[in-house]
Amino acid sequence: METNKLIQVKDVYKRFEDGNMTVALDHCSLEIRKGEVVVIVGPSGSGKSTMLRTLNMLEVPTSGEIIFEGVNIADKSVDINVHRQKMGMVFQHFNLFPHKTILENLTLAPIKVKGEDHRTVEERAMRLLGIVGLADRAHDYPSQLSGGQKQRVAIARALCMQPEVMLFDEPTSALDPEMVGEVLEVMRDLAKHGMTMVVVTHEMGFAREVGTRVIFMDQGKILVDEDPKTFFEKPENPRLQDFLAKVL
Amino acid sequence: MTLWQRMTNFSFLPDYAPYFINGIICTLLLSVVSVFVAIIPALCLALMRLSKSKILRGISGAYIQVFRSTPLLVQLFIVYFGPFTAITLPSYKMFGFIDTAIFIPGVVALALNSSAYVAESIRAGILAVDKGQTEAARSLGLTQAQTMRYIVLPQAIKNIIPTLANELVTMIKETSVIGYLGVQDLMWGTKTTAGATFLPLSPYILAAAIYFCINFPAGKAVEALERRMRRGDK
Repeated sequence: METNKLIQVKDVYKRFEDGNMTVALDHCSLEIRKGEVVVIVGPSGSGKSTMLRTLNMLEVPTSGEIIFEGVNIADKSVDINVHRQKMGMVFQHFNLFPHKTILENLTLAPIKVKGEDHRTVEERAMRLLGIVGLADRAHDYPSQLSGGQKQRVAIARALCMQPEVMLFDEPTSALDPEMVGEVLEVMRDLAKHGMTMVVVTHEMGFAREVGTRVIFMDQGKILVDEDPKTFFEKPENPRLQDFLAKVL
Repeated sequence: MTLWQRMTNFSFLPDYAPYFINGIICTLLLSVVSVFVAIIPALCLALMRLSKSKILRGISGAYIQVFRSTPLLVQLFIVYFGPFTAITLPSYKMFGFIDTAIFIPGVVALALNSSAYVAESIRAGILAVDKGQTEAARSLGLTQAQTMRYIVLPQAIKNIIPTLANELVTMIKETSVIGYLGVQDLMWGTKTTAGATFLPLSPYILAAAIYFCINFPAGKAVEALERRMRRGDK
């Protein structure tokens, strides 16, 4: 069913114009359907973060198409800001706005970008902060929070735009080990409520348990795209076997 | 007279003190106004310098290079005898002695010069804001302009304010060329005193002491400000 396909990545090629002409994505194709939790794993430098960042055009592909809700957003004539509103993104280093309170971090984009009513947005923001367990910190600044708390706020900030899909770029990689659990818990909850998610992570437990599909990338190529059970229990690709042997 | 006597002969003071007091007022007024006037054009230059358009980058870059690579005194004369010969300015005496007809061209020349330097510090201040901030803002759907206005500039200001204060300190010294237009700043008052009293050294010693007494504490204040600003961001 065509309508089920939220994002289609068609033959995307990305070369960094950095002197080395590094090929980050080597003709990748991928489909993300509504309600799926697609986890992307792979060794560092495999292009998995670049893959994720091309989905909302933070990285512009050298060639290929990114079809989001039927529109090729890799086309330069498309107003990308309209489409980004529907794609939430969570970063490894949180990237909260340090000069704004927690609440303002959540309400800024819905008010300025979507022109939503102040009160409506604040109510929604407070509800979301409640869900991630930080309603009592609404008027604090990001610098007063721990890493895990910051990342939970970052998730709430993305959700406050009411996106169609959430993109996670190694959301737990910059966290102290004892804070990883609280962030994964929020993500697990989000998946349970049917949010479409694309997650780049090193957390194999999360991939196996929450993922509906797991993708393995290496050297800019998508090598495996399987359900988690097959992916972890009967891996056929030798590079994946090698990778799993090292990380599990 | 020995050198020491020539340096410390302040017998001119009772008669000429007003030249120095007015000079201080004029110098401070000129510096502060010039730096403030420079901020808006400097911000425009910095944003042009950072824009994607090659033409805008080129114009801004050329402006900055021209003003940084030519002497302020030359710029001052070109501005005064160029555009301002075509414009008749009202002659009004601020504080009873600063003539607006020459003060305004002076401010314009100093601000044009200063904006080239301030533009570079604004640019550096903007570039020092973490790239992740821009990415986060853009990922939420903010346009490039909104990102600059709501996210990047408010954070860049912290980096920019100390350099602006520094520019003010520089400007207080640089304004000493304004006397060539007849603006009665501290340097003009000093020269006039030296000429009228035939004391060629001690008035300049006094002027140096005054400039030092303004700029040294100001410089220290800038350092303190920088430290506080840095402590603020965690």
